[in-house]
Amino acid sequence: MFYLSQVEQNLKMPPHLLKPSLLDGELEKGIRGELEKRFLDKVITNLGLCISVYDIQSFEGGFIFPGDDGCATYKVRCRLVMFQPFVGEVIVGKIESCDEFGLQVSLGFFSDIRIPERFMVQPCHRGEDGIWVWQFKVDNEEFQYSLDIDEEIRFRVASVKYPPTPVEQSENSEPFSPMEITGYINGDGLGLVSWW
Amino acid sequence: MKIEKANVGNLTNFEVFDFLRTRGATSDPMGCIGSVSPSECKVFEYLSGSPACMQTRESVNEFLIKADKFKFITSFEKLNIVNSTPTVMPALYATIKDCDKRIAKEEEQIAKENQLEEDQLQELLELVKEIFPQPAEEQEELSQ
Repeated sequence: MFYLSQVEQNLKMPPHLLKPSLLDGELEKGIRGELEKRFLDKVITNLGLCISVYDIQSFEGGFIFPGDDGCATYKVRCRLVMFQPFVGEVIVGKIESCDEFGLQVSLGFFSDIRIPERFMVQPCHRGEDGIWVWQFKVDNEEFQYSLDIDEEIRFRVASVKYPPTPVEQSENSEPFSPMEITGYINGDGLGLVSWW
Repeated sequence: MKIEKANVGNLTNFEVFDFLRTRGATSDPMGCIGSVSPSECKVFEYLSGSPACMQTRESVNEFLIKADKFKFITSFEKLNIVNSTPTVMPALYATIKDCDKRIAKEEEQIAKENQLEEDQLQELLELVKEIFPQPAEEQEELSQ
């Protein structure tokens, strides 16, 4: 689910952050703070969601370029903890909502996980209250297992997509999600954790 | 921004949990203001609810060394198993892709195919249960 990524960034340190750091000898802390502001909780295309700054390997520079409002630019090399599950990974999440297309699962820190109807346990249908129900038949007996909201669900990652940022968005459209994970639950051991 | 190396190394959930814990994250969302950001707190909260919170560095290393003898699983699958610690056979099936087909293919020449598959998987499951005990099961037994 997580991996380390090494990046190099030209970081502009504003003077009000620089002064206390330099005096205390804690420039690294100041740089770390700026890195976190820059990367934390942001999605980097093809890398994933940045969870945390793991460490700062080196920084150099500190030159003040003209027209920069007095910001000192440092070239920082650091490692970031990225969240990007690999295809085929099994993850446990909570069902956040369901609609006619399928389920939406959330991990707390990441919610753009969809399980479309074609990837759900078959056969299943959507009940009157909107909840998806799995009809499981064994020896002429039929069991109904419903996929309720807030239930823990184990799914396997089918794909991770990074849709391009839309240039214009109409008012009623859904908020843009920069990283979308599609999962499937039609397999042994997958589906609600309570089923197995 | 320049990406020097996209993937320096995979991290198990336990390693991320440990890293956040050393940075000062706690299960109490109000307690970690100041040392870690709210989004890091959310990740910590998620990992506290997963099997990763019960693991130790030694147990993960032990598992990886002992699981080496199972030649049919790849390192990604070992990562999958460490992160999800399956306790029942169907959960283990879920972590290993096309496991039936793969084991049957390797042991094609040998007569008792089916028995060998299950034996190996059963052994793997026992190893997981031995190294990563499940406290949730104990609680259930207590309540019953």
